[in-house]
Amino acid sequence: MALVRTSGARIAAVCTCVPTRRFDNLKDSAEFSDEEIRKVTGMAGVAARRLAGDAVCSSDLCVAAAKRALDKLDWSPDSIDALIMVTQTPDYFLPSTACVVHQRLGLADHCAAFDVGLGCSGYPYGMWLAAMMLQGGGVRRALVLHGETPTRFSDKADRSVSLLFGDAGSATALEATGSDGGDPWYYALHSDGSGYNSMIIESGGFRDRFGSDPRKHCVYMNGALIFNFTIKRVPALIDETLTGSGFRAADIDYFIFHQSNQFIMKHLCVKQSLPLEKVPIILKEFGNTGGASIPLTLTQAALTRPQDRALRLMLVGYGVGLSWGSALVDLDPKAILDSVELDNCTELPA
Amino acid sequence: MTQQEAVEWIAKLFEVPPDRLTPDTLRDDIPAWDSLGVLTLMASLDSDHGIVLTDDDVQAIKRVGDILDVMRRNGKLT
Repeated sequence: MALVRTSGARIAAVCTCVPTRRFDNLKDSAEFSDEEIRKVTGMAGVAARRLAGDAVCSSDLCVAAAKRALDKLDWSPDSIDALIMVTQTPDYFLPSTACVVHQRLGLADHCAAFDVGLGCSGYPYGMWLAAMMLQGGGVRRALVLHGETPTRFSDKADRSVSLLFGDAGSATALEATGSDGGDPWYYALHSDGSGYNSMIIESGGFRDRFGSDPRKHCVYMNGALIFNFTIKRVPALIDETLTGSGFRAADIDYFIFHQSNQFIMKHLCVKQSLPLEKVPIILKEFGNTGGASIPLTLTQAALTRPQDRALRLMLVGYGVGLSWGSALVDLDPKAILDSVELDNCTELPA
Repeated sequence: MTQQEAVEWIAKLFEVPPDRLTPDTLRDDIPAWDSLGVLTLMASLDSDHGIVLTDDDVQAIKRVGDILDVMRRNGKLT
């Protein structure tokens, strides 16, 4: 589709939550030799990750982040008109995780709540959906929650994924501003289903519900095909977003990439002539947390925070699907909240 | 770039002496050409030669000669 433009919304708060448990790839990995670990982590840039326990779901991390955001904003739960839960690690096949979260946040029955089943590209999609709702009227406040627990679907013996992934949740609170809003926001959103099997969990869904091979209940990733997809699609996505919005790369304060892999991200920077200081990387401490890595980067990277203006950000998601998208948005630095942590003794839904 | 220069480029990439490589040298015979080496190869083809592989190329490259074929098809070998 063509580049989409919205107006009349602002980001009121971004908050994230990671599990308390820190896993040091070198010290805590038993499956691989030190040499293997050094090689993989050196390339991927992942020294440590946060791991959710078996009782912690994406929803738990997102609820903790959302509670913090609502509390800081002093927004009452019944003021939320829409809840978009972006995840590929839902609590259940049914009901939607959005409904579980709706109950846990105490939202009102006038709140639309639904899931979006996207991974690494999901944050720009969630922002687009929320902004469209806020622009359309009827929705005054919206929450975009994006959380993933990829460590719970990774085969510990598969070095292509097991040293890479971390878990995280996020909550982004948005509000309609009407005609008083700032600059328009722009989105470029794409899909290529021909690569659906480049990254896949083959069993457990209804195509192969009770598959007997335990490896097929874990994620398979063809790293070469994903890398190839990325270097073909992401530069074009950035160019499309800049051209369509009329901005130059120099006008963008930060390009917040999905934190996929340091090698890939640095290659993209070189290819697009983006200065590294404009592309924060937080892989070292958190690993690849799926699409939640974009809001996690907002809260964890040492971004400059001007007092007198909003940051202009290009949010860039890409991966499983294959799916990729960008959102060019403004963000008041004061809306970036401190991240919270959650241990395994979380309050679980009834 | 001549074929010999291309072989030297590949040898440098995978940290092996150029005289150990021929077009028939298999990926399995080059220790650094593992799954991470594949990414290095793809990134270097892109950054050094402006070649972005097709998905079929990614799956098909199994030996040094396959890399040379890709470079030839993309007009990088004289």
